[in-house]
Amino acid sequence: MNTFLRKNTVLLITLAVITALFIAAAQGMEKKDFVITLLRGLAVGSITFLVASGFSLIFGLLDVLNLAHGTLFMIGAYIGWTVFVRPDTFVDLLTPLALILSGFALADVYPFLATRIRLGLSMKRILPWALILVSVLIFSFILPRYPISIWDVENYGQSPVTYSFMADSGTRLPAPVAVFTEIAAPLALIGLVLASMIGAFGLSLFNSETQQQFKLTWKNFAAFAILLIVALLTFIFNESLTAVLTGLSSNWLFLIAVVVATLSGAGLGALIESTLIRPLYIRPIYQLMLTLGMSAIGIEIVRSVWGRPEFVMPKPAFFNGTGGVCPATNFADWWANNCSTILLLDGRVRVYNEIFIPIIGVIVLISIWMLLQRTRLGMVIRAGVQDREMVEALGINVRRVFTMVFGLGVGLAALGGILAAPSMGLSNAMGESLFLNALIALAIGGLTNYPGAALGSVLVGLIQQFIIKYGQIGIAIPFTDIIFKPTPPLVPASTVLLMVIILLILPNGLLGKKE
Amino acid sequence: MEYILDVQNIHTFIGQYHILQGVNVRVPKGSITALLGRNGAGKTTTLKSILGLTPPREGKVIYEGKEVQGMHSFDIASKGIGFVPEHRAIFRDLTVEENLKIAERVKGDYLRKRDFIFDLFPDLKRLITLPGTSLSGGQQQMLAIARSFVADNHLLLIDEPSEGLAPVIIESMMSVIRELSKDSTIVLVEQNFLVASRLAEYYVIIEEGRSVQEGSMKDLANDKAAIHRYLGAA
Ligand SMILES: Nc1ncnc2c1ncn2[C@@H]1O[C@H](COP(=O)(O)OP(=O)(O)OP(=O)(O)O)[C@@H](O)[C@H]1O
Ligand SMILES: [Mg+2]
Repeated sequence: MNTFLRKNTVLLITLAVITALFIAAAQGMEKKDFVITLLRGLAVGSITFLVASGFSLIFGLLDVLNLAHGTLFMIGAYIGWTVFVRPDTFVDLLTPLALILSGFALADVYPFLATRIRLGLSMKRILPWALILVSVLIFSFILPRYPISIWDVENYGQSPVTYSFMADSGTRLPAPVAVFTEIAAPLALIGLVLASMIGAFGLSLFNSETQQQFKLTWKNFAAFAILLIVALLTFIFNESLTAVLTGLSSNWLFLIAVVVATLSGAGLGALIESTLIRPLYIRPIYQLMLTLGMSAIGIEIVRSVWGRPEFVMPKPAFFNGTGGVCPATNFADWWANNCSTILLLDGRVRVYNEIFIPIIGVIVLISIWMLLQRTRLGMVIRAGVQDREMVEALGINVRRVFTMVFGLGVGLAALGGILAAPSMGLSNAMGESLFLNALIALAIGGLTNYPGAALGSVLVGLIQQFIIKYGQIGIAIPFTDIIFKPTPPLVPASTVLLMVIILLILPNGLLGKKE
Repeated sequence: MEYILDVQNIHTFIGQYHILQGVNVRVPKGSITALLGRNGAGKTTTLKSILGLTPPREGKVIYEGKEVQGMHSFDIASKGIGFVPEHRAIFRDLTVEENLKIAERVKGDYLRKRDFIFDLFPDLKRLITLPGTSLSGGQQQMLAIARSFVADNHLLLIDEPSEGLAPVIIESMMSVIRELSKDSTIVLVEQNFLVASRLAEYYVIIEEGRSVQEGSMKDLANDKAAIHRYLGAA
């Protein structure tokens, strides 16, 4: 204990000063304001943490600065919104998505195929590109003709804004059912599988310099078969599935939206790592440019699919009750009415924004901590952060772990996105500010330190919310009559200032280890 | 003679530097074979090239009769090769026990080997819950060696095990390596010629990225000229 104190004097002093500042901040405002501001800070901190922790896991193990992380956070929100507000669109998408992915599920088979093909050197160079070109051509023929019932960003009455608005007021805008007219259904389905296989084969040829003896078993085909079955089932039972989802209570639908958004994020992350990032591990600069490019492309895709205007995401009924005894003053009242707000020390606290989100933040914090500390995967991640080469020399398939960690990191960001959507709303820019927050939080907490990511995120959230609050009520500067009101631009500036101060005192961040 | 490992004329580049320029190493099954040579000769790089950590651009690495050059490191290691790197590479954020467990290739490897490990290294038993970094240099070396045989490895690549250890500890480490060689073949990189000559049956001398001489250790001990020329020792 004594050595702990000695080794961490600077850290402890810094934390003491920060705590003292928060206590001082409490003196300047009413108790209810303090509690609410604290909760809001924790909420912002939780969302920031979801983005920051994923980013830092990826950076720590893979050395990849994923500049697209904020965009993936945003994409998580939009995917979740789609499931929640337009379940019919979601169901329509399942079939083509499963088919597009099916080819990639055969990843283990392609190297085997590749060893069977004997080609000249120039053909070997051309073949992957030719395959990818063919695949892209087939996709671009089929996908625009594939019927998916979707909103219309050009037409206000049919736009996401309107669908969202209607859903928020408790009604469902009727949506037209999509039917195959421009292309025959069997042709579309088979074409998608073929295009996917051709494209995935082409991509796999890029990183197949290694010769290896393979034995193919049914396991290598299992994922492929499962995806085909899923595609077929969702195709046949499209309408009944849609009916089931639209009939669900908004609580269940929200839960499904959260799960789908998180899993899509994880899947997207795994796909990005194994196809785009992997060939570039030896060229870190290109990797940086790649993730930056992906970020820009991601934003453009979101703009063209969901449109530029911001819109709200309705809260699930569980957090949206009004009337009667609301705002509730005790737990029983809240439970009975699912009030959207409760009274805490006479202040109104929004249950979803200020209580539910921090709780989820804590749950995720603990779950990932358990994953890191208690599982073999976690052990490998912790070891790999320090010394990848040695982990590999132990015979552990580090590539697979890389893919999983990238998926996990992006999944966490997507989870953050869908959780934030009902409180922040959806906008094309929602990823940027959060990503900046997350970077600052990591600089403060220690770039690759998991508890550090949590501490930094909470600090960033708290500072911002307190500055915002003081922007409303003003700070009485001691020994003068001056009341200082921080202006909105000071909000981001304050966190940057905190970061600069902490980095001057502790160059590795609060909990970062010295190299 | 049956060779468990046959390295044939490998050339390895690190960045644009042509580090290994033709290294041949044959390791008889069941033997201890020493890689000797001055600092910077390319001994460590040879071990890493065998494991694919610095993949050779040319030449062959044949392990148990199969060519493994060009495979991923983890595939090569999984075939049954254990590695004790030069600077031990103990995982800091893992406890001593986790440092051993992570080397499992089959679930339960660690439990099966635990008693054997504690017999060889009684010290590790009481340190088992400590973080890897809190160990002394000697203890880290013990842990690194123990980690290399948690999985059932047929070949152990051990890089400078005596580096920075006190003479008493070196003695006990030598007896550990002898004990291990009963079950596995060992390739040993060793600067301390005395240690190498007492442990190894065969040797390969590497000089400026080339293997220049090989044979049985007994012959080398009498070849004062070679010792002087390649190893700079008396
Ligand atoms: N990452 C690197 N970049 C450039 N050169 C390197 C690198 N690693 C090793 N070398 C060079 O390769 C040569 C062989 O290094 P290696 O570590 O294999 O030598 P060694 O025989 O193990 O030496 P020692 O006995 O000092 O451990 C050295 O000249 C070294 O400078
Ligand atoms: Mg060396």
